[in-house]
Amino acid sequence: MASSANSNPVPKLYRSVIEDVINEVRELFLDEGVDEQVLMELKTLWENKLMQSKAVEGFHTEEQAALQAAAQQQAQQSQQVTQQTQSQQVLLPQQQQVTNWQSTRPNVTSAPQQQVIVQDPKILQHMSATGMSAAATAATLALPTGVSPYQQLITSQGQILQVVRAANGAQYIIQPQQQMVLQQQVLPQMQPGGVQAPVIQQVLTPLQGGLPQQTGVIIQPQQIVLTGNKVQQNTQVMQMAGQAGQMQQVQQVQQVQQAQGGAAQGAPQQQQQPQAQGGAAPGAPQQQQAQQMTQPQPPMMLQVDGAGDTSSDEDEEEEEEEYDEDEDEDKDKDGGEDGQVEEEPLNSEDDVSDEEDQELFDTENVVVCQYDKIHRSKNKWKFHLKDGIMNLNGRDYVFSKAVGDAEW
Amino acid sequence: MAYQLYRNTTLGNSLQESLDELIQTQQITPQLALQVLLQFDKAINTALANRVRNRVNFKGSLNTYRFCDNVWTFVLNDVEFREVTDLVKVDKVKIVACDGKRASYTCVMILLFDQLLDTPHL
Repeated sequence: MASSANSNPVPKLYRSVIEDVINEVRELFLDEGVDEQVLMELKTLWENKLMQSKAVEGFHTEEQAALQAAAQQQAQQSQQVTQQTQSQQVLLPQQQQVTNWQSTRPNVTSAPQQQVIVQDPKILQHMSATGMSAAATAATLALPTGVSPYQQLITSQGQILQVVRAANGAQYIIQPQQQMVLQQQVLPQMQPGGVQAPVIQQVLTPLQGGLPQQTGVIIQPQQIVLTGNKVQQNTQVMQMAGQAGQMQQVQQVQQVQQAQGGAAQGAPQQQQQPQAQGGAAPGAPQQQQAQQMTQPQPPMMLQVDGAGDTSSDEDEEEEEEEYDEDEDEDKDKDGGEDGQVEEEPLNSEDDVSDEEDQELFDTENVVVCQYDKIHRSKNKWKFHLKDGIMNLNGRDYVFSKAVGDAEW
Repeated sequence: MAYQLYRNTTLGNSLQESLDELIQTQQITPQLALQVLLQFDKAINTALANRVRNRVNFKGSLNTYRFCDNVWTFVLNDVEFREVTDLVKVDKVKIVACDGKRASYTCVMILLFDQLLDTPHL
């Protein structure tokens, strides 16, 4: 990304506001007896939504992620070696992943393998560095068609996740950095002395020529859970409520470490071989596996509103329309009989246009501010505004002063 | 009480949505959510007043104007927003502006309290 001469003040401002608010309400939360965890969840939800809206450049979160990762790395250096190297592994691919994901965004619809390959070299490097099995040549992730990397999320521990939006609008989280695992093997990541309860790890399959799919990431359409854990991949419990749309052929065994065997909702996702979907119909086996894997998930619901709605409302509307049409016809007939031909509605020459409602726009450009002075001279208006937040063409801007002219 | 004006922004809406989610999962009470929003109002008002220092010019044609309850609402068409660094053009923009002189708001509050307490300020 090119560094601009003037840094955008918006991300910093938003970040400072978020920090202020969270810190101020911490007391309120404690007074109510609400756990700090909920406060963190609020913060995470808030930040995620901001990033999803794309109204703000998300770079500030990346910086924060880098900071957090650095801090995390230092904290973890007292821990075991493998964890250390793996956390380093976390750091380096992060920066790469940024570019990878962003650069591969347009490629999603075709050949998911491409994305996979991009990440391979990075991981391979680290893999060899850490001395782990080189069998993990496969991509860490494979995205199904129609799923596009959306945004990068940062968990409170600084892990970068990829939020992915499927064609049906459901959003998933992919946890990109994982330990490499042999095909069909689940290697215990943590040392035996670790406190961890069953560790679910990512199953990677090497790229096989001709296989259109890699084992990717389990994308739970409705719940994605990353349990918090002090060691290594500190993932945070997050739930994404999304539509239970069709899941494409992406499955990932997320590395979810269940702290103290605590309930990780929907976590146990040890997949056998999802590759079976290779060329098969993407929809059905996916859903089956998804449903098998995810326990407390509600049963997948097809959307029944909209086109599939019951016809009672439609009948009423039709009746009303018919009634109106009858009235109009009668009026026209009467007008004709009187000798006054009124073929056009009476309000056809009115100033006020009815078409404003019909305009389609993606974002309503809004400026929310305070006014210092509003001045008018004949039809020339002058605006003196201050302390405003603008959303123009989908992006956010702020100003401390704004001066404008307009003619009415 | 600070203006609740900024709740309908990206920042404010994302906060409200997050709070709604937490309420739905019953992790917080609506009362607590309201407190958070009030805190947000304070924080954003302060931040905008103190931490932002830039100036914007804009020019366009005025489609509609409304002044009600000391709030101006304009709809402008074909507007150019110009900052030192860049230029943004939009076909249509709605501007909602509350009174920048808090005095007016404060005066109203003072008068109300006067009535309650029978202590005439003026």
